[in-house]
Amino acid sequence: MAEAGRSLKPFYLLLGAIAVVGAVLIAVFGGGPAAPELSASVDCRNLPAGTPAKGVALGPDSAKVQIDEYSDFECPWCARFAILTEPDIRQRLIPTGRVRWRYMNFPLDGHLNSPAAHLVAACALEQGKFWQMHDALYMGQSDWATEKNPMRLFFQYANRIGLNADSLRECVKTKRPWAGIQAEKCEGLRLGVGGTPTFFVNGRKLPDNEMPAFDDFTHMVDSITAAMSAHPAAAKKR
Amino acid sequence: MRHRMAVAVLALCGLLVSTYLLLYKLGVIGSMVCGAANECERVQASRYSEFLGLPVAAYGVGGYVVLLALALYGLRASQISRPAATRWLAGLSALGVAFSLYLLSLELFVIHAICRWCSVSGVLILAICAVSIGGLVAASRAPAP
Repeated sequence: MAEAGRSLKPFYLLLGAIAVVGAVLIAVFGGGPAAPELSASVDCRNLPAGTPAKGVALGPDSAKVQIDEYSDFECPWCARFAILTEPDIRQRLIPTGRVRWRYMNFPLDGHLNSPAAHLVAACALEQGKFWQMHDALYMGQSDWATEKNPMRLFFQYANRIGLNADSLRECVKTKRPWAGIQAEKCEGLRLGVGGTPTFFVNGRKLPDNEMPAFDDFTHMVDSITAAMSAHPAAAKKR
Repeated sequence: MRHRMAVAVLALCGLLVSTYLLLYKLGVIGSMVCGAANECERVQASRYSEFLGLPVAAYGVGGYVVLLALALYGLRASQISRPAATRWLAGLSALGVAFSLYLLSLELFVIHAICRWCSVSGVLILAICAVSIGGLVAASRAPAP
């Protein structure tokens, strides 16, 4: 048996070599799909008619306070906000029913991978997993922001959060949600958004370059709801 | 012995091809190298890329693992002169050939697209079947010890 084992050694080495070469080939050729050709700059006059700027909302429509966040997936400050502040907002503020939080796509010009990231997130929304992709994109921002083709990483995130890969590929290929993303950016431009993140609380823009903390949002919501309770007529006017 | 070595090599190649297809189907790999027409993607996106709730490629991975393990088992000194492993290889690979033909007919007549990597897998399983049957025939002609 030892003799048979010795004579088979070159054969086992051959098998090992084939396995290694095959694994390397899969790793090399197993990248992401080609990145969709998109630009963050938008011509708002030529948007398809009737494309709504819906955003992605959390919280009830009847909430007394609506907060809109105009954000860019490649913006480091947006990532900081998404990672450090937003989890508290989602877990502690939105469940109170007093706040409707809306994420508005605002891919900034000059951020080359941002359009693809926004498209992938919007495609994830079609499968009901926008916020999971939102979190994955912000958590992995430093990994994909400098990639020549970030789709490989985006598909890894999609796999991790359980997206259907076939549907995602089809959505990315057809760029179906792109017009909606552009509409949101145009809405932001119309409202004077010049950078990200920019927040609007019941339609009122918070000062530029100000990134409120969780407590700031809580105080704003408390004061607005208190004012509305004290002056219901004023609340109706809003 | 040589036919089992050949089967092991072919099964390993089949395992790599099936793994590639499965990783694509699961989304671990975003795109496939498959020519300009991207017919692999059309086939993989069709509803026929799943069978009984599992990706077809997963059956390929499982099948090739079994064939590879059988071929290596048949190379053990205690099994070299016994025909059992080769019989199993021939029987299981014949099932694989039948399944590949079923998939090929779907590609030709239903999906109207040919997945090249699936065809490579089909050729590999056909080769495994042919080599295994060849091994059985050779064993039956060999003089009794």
